[in-house]
Amino acid sequence: MPHEPSAARRDLLIQLARLGDLVQTLPAVEALQEVYPDRTLDVLCAAPLTAVLAGARHIGRVIPWDGAQWRAWADRWQDNPTHTLQAMQAYVAALAEMAYDRVYPLNQHVRSHLLTRLFSGRSLREDEQDHVEARIRPWAEYLRHIAPHRGNNRVHLADAWCGMSGVRPRGRAPLFQPPAVEFPDDLAPIGERKGLWVALVTGAGEADRCVPPATWSRWTKEFLSQADEGQVVLIGSGQERETGQAILESIPTLLQGRVWDATGRTTIPQLMKLLHKCRWVIGADTGPLHLGTLMGSRAIGFYFSHARVHETGPYGEGHWVYQYATQTRPDSWPIMESIALICGDQRQAAADWTLWRNRMDHWGTNFDDGSGQESVQCVRATVWRNLSPTLCESVAA
Amino acid sequence: MNRFNDNIDQLAAQDAAFAVAVKASAGGALTIEPARSGVPSARRSGRWIHSAYDPLREADTWADTHAPACREGETVVVAGVGLLYHIEALRKRVASEIAVAVLISDLDEFHDALVARPLGSWADDILWLSGPPVEIADRLSKTGRPLRCLSYAPATQSDSDFHSAFEQALRRSIARQAGGQLTIALVGPIYGGSLPIARYVRRALETLGHQVQWIDHSVHASSYEAMGALKDGRNRQLMQGRLAEVLSQWTLASLAESPPDLVLSLAQAPLTLPVLEHLRKKKLLTAMWFVENYRHLTYWQQMAPGYDFWFVFQRGACLDAFRQAGARQVSFLPMAADPELHCPLDLSDDERRTYGADVSFVGAGYPNRRRLFPALLRRPWSFKLWGNEWDGADELRSVLQLNGARIDTDTCMKVFNATAINLNVHSTTGAGLDPQADFVNPRTFELAACGAFQLVDFRSQLPEFFTERELVSFRNFDEIPGLVGQWLGDPAARQAMADAARTRVLGAHTYVHRMRDLLGQIGLSQPDRVGAVLRGDRQQEALLARCAGDAPLESLLKALPAGQRVELKDVAARIRSKGSTATLKREELMVLMLDEYRSETRDLL
Repeated sequence: MPHEPSAARRDLLIQLARLGDLVQTLPAVEALQEVYPDRTLDVLCAAPLTAVLAGARHIGRVIPWDGAQWRAWADRWQDNPTHTLQAMQAYVAALAEMAYDRVYPLNQHVRSHLLTRLFSGRSLREDEQDHVEARIRPWAEYLRHIAPHRGNNRVHLADAWCGMSGVRPRGRAPLFQPPAVEFPDDLAPIGERKGLWVALVTGAGEADRCVPPATWSRWTKEFLSQADEGQVVLIGSGQERETGQAILESIPTLLQGRVWDATGRTTIPQLMKLLHKCRWVIGADTGPLHLGTLMGSRAIGFYFSHARVHETGPYGEGHWVYQYATQTRPDSWPIMESIALICGDQRQAAADWTLWRNRMDHWGTNFDDGSGQESVQCVRATVWRNLSPTLCESVAA
Repeated sequence: MNRFNDNIDQLAAQDAAFAVAVKASAGGALTIEPARSGVPSARRSGRWIHSAYDPLREADTWADTHAPACREGETVVVAGVGLLYHIEALRKRVASEIAVAVLISDLDEFHDALVARPLGSWADDILWLSGPPVEIADRLSKTGRPLRCLSYAPATQSDSDFHSAFEQALRRSIARQAGGQLTIALVGPIYGGSLPIARYVRRALETLGHQVQWIDHSVHASSYEAMGALKDGRNRQLMQGRLAEVLSQWTLASLAESPPDLVLSLAQAPLTLPVLEHLRKKKLLTAMWFVENYRHLTYWQQMAPGYDFWFVFQRGACLDAFRQAGARQVSFLPMAADPELHCPLDLSDDERRTYGADVSFVGAGYPNRRRLFPALLRRPWSFKLWGNEWDGADELRSVLQLNGARIDTDTCMKVFNATAINLNVHSTTGAGLDPQADFVNPRTFELAACGAFQLVDFRSQLPEFFTERELVSFRNFDEIPGLVGQWLGDPAARQAMADAARTRVLGAHTYVHRMRDLLGQIGLSQPDRVGAVLRGDRQQEALLARCAGDAPLESLLKALPAGQRVELKDVAARIRSKGSTATLKREELMVLMLDEYRSETRDLL
């Protein structure tokens, strides 16, 4: 008989980063829920992203953190410090009770630490929080080390967050049900008609991670030419509307009927449902790419610049990543190769790009380029043994 | 006349004396004509003051533009009367906690407005300001409320002198009352005439109690000079341009260390337009004091949109040119002297012999001086010429001192003090005296501050700064020999005139005066930012008064030094000083959180 979580024993996980990181936090959330079924886990995340977690089972409360409001208060402080402080106090008090047994801060920055102190219970529970922080510290140091150096790290960020939270990865990726929302009328046929539906992520959070619109234009034309039943849904935020329009306008008129421009036209729940309706999602290392994996799409990532497959590749089984050889801007793109993957699951090499496919095991997710995995497994096991020896004992057992 | 009398009765309920004055005025300043929309419109001196089509809509647009910036507790002062459509629209848009005051520069115009249109109930909440502009400014500044000045331009053009006088008086009045401490980043040039002025400005700002972050680019002068040795002009320009870009970024990095309330640049400061635009995005205020003749150095044309405030020492066409080039706000700010440096000196006999003469000139060898000065040779009095860039002026070699070497400020002061008659001839590239004599150079103020007697070529602004009992000017260079003869023979009169000029400079023309005016102008335009600091709203005592009764906040603020300005970062620093392991109160954690967000918005690089 499943345990009902106790409202009296509440823990808080803090993830203030962007969409992709929030999605990649879900393996840790699910692992914590599995290990502590009798405790209630609340999650604090950026206010605009709370809708992502609406479909997560067993999360107690999703607490929105409104950074824009804090910026406004920072500007207003001098005009009226009393009002500002009172407004802040009221805001924090309305968010949550101020005494969590355990707080898991996954972001290694000052705000996250301050929130931990703000929401941690005092006195009796301090020892418990000390234990949480003792578990976090080695992983935090490890992540700080690999951020600039990279090296041969093969521990995925989502799994490192499991380690920080003191739990092992579950060995399977989170999967959400689509939210019950409606599309705008003209987008309603997406996924309803027969066809090979592909969501194409037009933008990226950072300019240096953006695939040029001309590349996506070419990709779309080639894909539609090769896949008679192919349908492409352009997705992105309001900032990508011009890109979406440019791609659409570059497509020959005869093919335009199979391109659906949803850039800037979907809420997060609508985007989640849209991704659920697409068999594939393709894009750079971006939030929507990861969101697609959560909704059951298979992902193909073009990873270049600072994006690295082993750290932030799409989480789960059966996704693909083309990793560019250097950190410079690519001068060629695996267009035909990625289309071959979608159309026939044919693995094709591309000059200057390495193709990786991910798999799941008891250390979480890892990526394989077909060149043998033993040494990689050894590296991952060593990291886990060094950073979470207690957890590894339970694996051995 | 019923409408007019009704309006007068309504006004009388507010201010009887003002109502009597309006009633007694003759009117006739405006020509009233119906607009296409049917409501009255008006012309003044043939020019439309309101739209000939739809004055109400025009007023709504004007009010919609300005109302969002108005803050609770402010007094919004509107210049420009017309038929009051814009005043009504503004009054209806801003909250009742915001006072709206209207400057009445001409009672006849106001009389016409009351004949043409009925005052509604909105007019009961208007403060009507009439009288001499200086008195109005004084009254307003004494209220202690933040002031926001708006202008309805079509109706201000006929009374521009009144409005300029009001603005100047208000600026000075606010500056006199300033009690707060600003942090100002002062960006100097790599080299040149504005470099010493940057130093004087720094001293003046510090004298006024502000904290100055001096970004000194003169330390890079030798590199800049070395690049100047490149023979290929294109390469030289390219390299010097690149260095200026690097220094612009350097400025940004320096500002990032501790973002100031104001970035004040002096002419030739190496700040590029993209960097200025970046600073604006980051909400940093920028100002430039362009202490150069705008006709000679023209790079301001590209830079004009970059700064929030421009200050120039020329008026008229100069102000128009800056506005046309995209300057948001441009104001007149004349040159000055620094009495710490420009002052009377006790010189030894030896120094008097070395640096003294009957007549001296200190300055560079501009073409007009080269043409004029030979006329001063072979006279019954001695003449010495000091300064550089006199190469090729062979005729003047006999009077050129130190072989035409550049002379430093100390030497310059000795020459001023040791000379009986200092000649001050403004430079031009032409042959004679400057035909566009629309500014007064720093030398004029510096000589006066030294208590040194001078003969200066006449400038149109000169009567504003000095009377004829304080300074002797000439309009034709031929007058010089006669004037020298006259004044050399009367040392007592020379001394009296020099003393009077020095007194005048100390009372009105120092860099301290100029910086007060500059900050007053910026404070007036930014009542809730620089203005708030200048009013002392951010001093510890003012903050404590505003949070009286809030014990946690009071305890945070009381921990900071009294009599000083307190910013969020100061409160946060105080909390952090308790150490990373200290148990902090909830409000302390929140202040630290707030400071994190503050530092993010000011993250410059």
